[in-house]
Amino acid sequence: MIYLDSAATTFQKPASVRAAMIKALDTCASPGRGGHRPAIAAAEKLYECRERASRLFDVEDPERVIMTFNATHGLNIAIRSLVSPGDRVVISGYEHNSVTRPLNAVGARIVVADSPVFDRDAAIRAFDSAITPGTGAVVINHVSNVFGFVLPVSEVADMCRSRGVPFIIDASQSAGVLRISARELMADFIAMPGHKGLYGPQGTGILIVKGDHRPLLYGGTGSNSMSREMPDFLPDGLEAGTHNMPGIAGLCEGLAFLERTGIDNIAAHERKLAESLASGLSGIRGVRVFAADDGRDQTGVVSFELDGMASEEAGERLSTMGFAVRAGLHCAPLAHTSVGTARRGTVRASVSAFNTKSEINSFLRAVERISEG
Amino acid sequence: MESYYLTCRSLTYAQRVSQALTGAGIRNMITRVSPTMSREGCGYAVRISTALLSRAMGVLASAALPPKRVFRVMAGGGFEEVRV
Repeated sequence: MIYLDSAATTFQKPASVRAAMIKALDTCASPGRGGHRPAIAAAEKLYECRERASRLFDVEDPERVIMTFNATHGLNIAIRSLVSPGDRVVISGYEHNSVTRPLNAVGARIVVADSPVFDRDAAIRAFDSAITPGTGAVVINHVSNVFGFVLPVSEVADMCRSRGVPFIIDASQSAGVLRISARELMADFIAMPGHKGLYGPQGTGILIVKGDHRPLLYGGTGSNSMSREMPDFLPDGLEAGTHNMPGIAGLCEGLAFLERTGIDNIAAHERKLAESLASGLSGIRGVRVFAADDGRDQTGVVSFELDGMASEEAGERLSTMGFAVRAGLHCAPLAHTSVGTARRGTVRASVSAFNTKSEINSFLRAVERISEG
Repeated sequence: MESYYLTCRSLTYAQRVSQALTGAGIRNMITRVSPTMSREGCGYAVRISTALLSRAMGVLASAALPPKRVFRVMAGGGFEEVRV
């Protein structure tokens, strides 16, 4: 099987991730819940993970690195911290349901700063006119999970800071793929999964917190136990309950892999594969591919449509031929609406550091066979 | 043996304190503290030897990592808060 669904989860992980998870099962108890050796081993591994994330994402201090179950968990904390019922919240036209659903649940007034795909200037203009006085918060996706479109996060961050509007960055598709500096962006929250570009296991995620925050879960933290209130300091205030230590140990090794390999090297590798993929697909009759003119505007995520075939059917046929892709709406109907693909969805192929050029060539031959009927 | 306990608001903070002290060559150990010492229930402290307190406080001041409180812990287990 050739795996091209890394935008959902990177399936191939560094061997060290698996080894670290097994070791954690053998050595780690619950961090902050005892003075015995297994508790200390867990505390040390957890701190190592926070430190690695701090270095990788240029975070001021490791206390601001919160362990979550996934990016959705982090986004829910962020949205519940910043948004109250009736607040006007500006979002991009490329947000995932992990943003739109919590905003809807809170009762926010959602304003979409809509713009064409791969047009960064248009996206900047859209945010510029949408962030009006009275805007309560902004949420921006760093990279679209459907089209790989790299949104102008730095420019929007500048805008929010200069206008005094708090903002949240969804780094689900960019963490581990593009450079992210929490210190420079100064976002109130940056949420990311551990199981995609960070090469950790499912059930892990990171939330980087700059300032005010509100717990989503309440419970034991191993600190301030006499109080019925959650601690107001980080990370304890946002980490109730026992940590997923095998997961965190795996995530820690995923981060170590990124440090060793270099995010820029991974980005260059994935971009090269995405360009081969896009150019190969565009040469196949009956295929409409969504590709940026400038490779810097797209990561290793490429969506396409096949004439006269539902995306789900194309996905099924590719699966029977040994290729793992994702078809449909990708939990991001807003992105499909922005691009005009909401009716049929798209087929999405997405690469990781472990994919090769020859895998892309095999995939292109498979799509060609399908398009020929 | 007498020692000083630098209490910390959380385990993660204690780990930062410990790292700063280790970086400055000051031997230390993270330890859990009794509810009577922490006053708020479960808590953590970084333990150092009595001779190193002044140097440790200087390192932590430079690193902007002040401890919550400082206790002198006697050989028999008794303790008293120390103003530094």
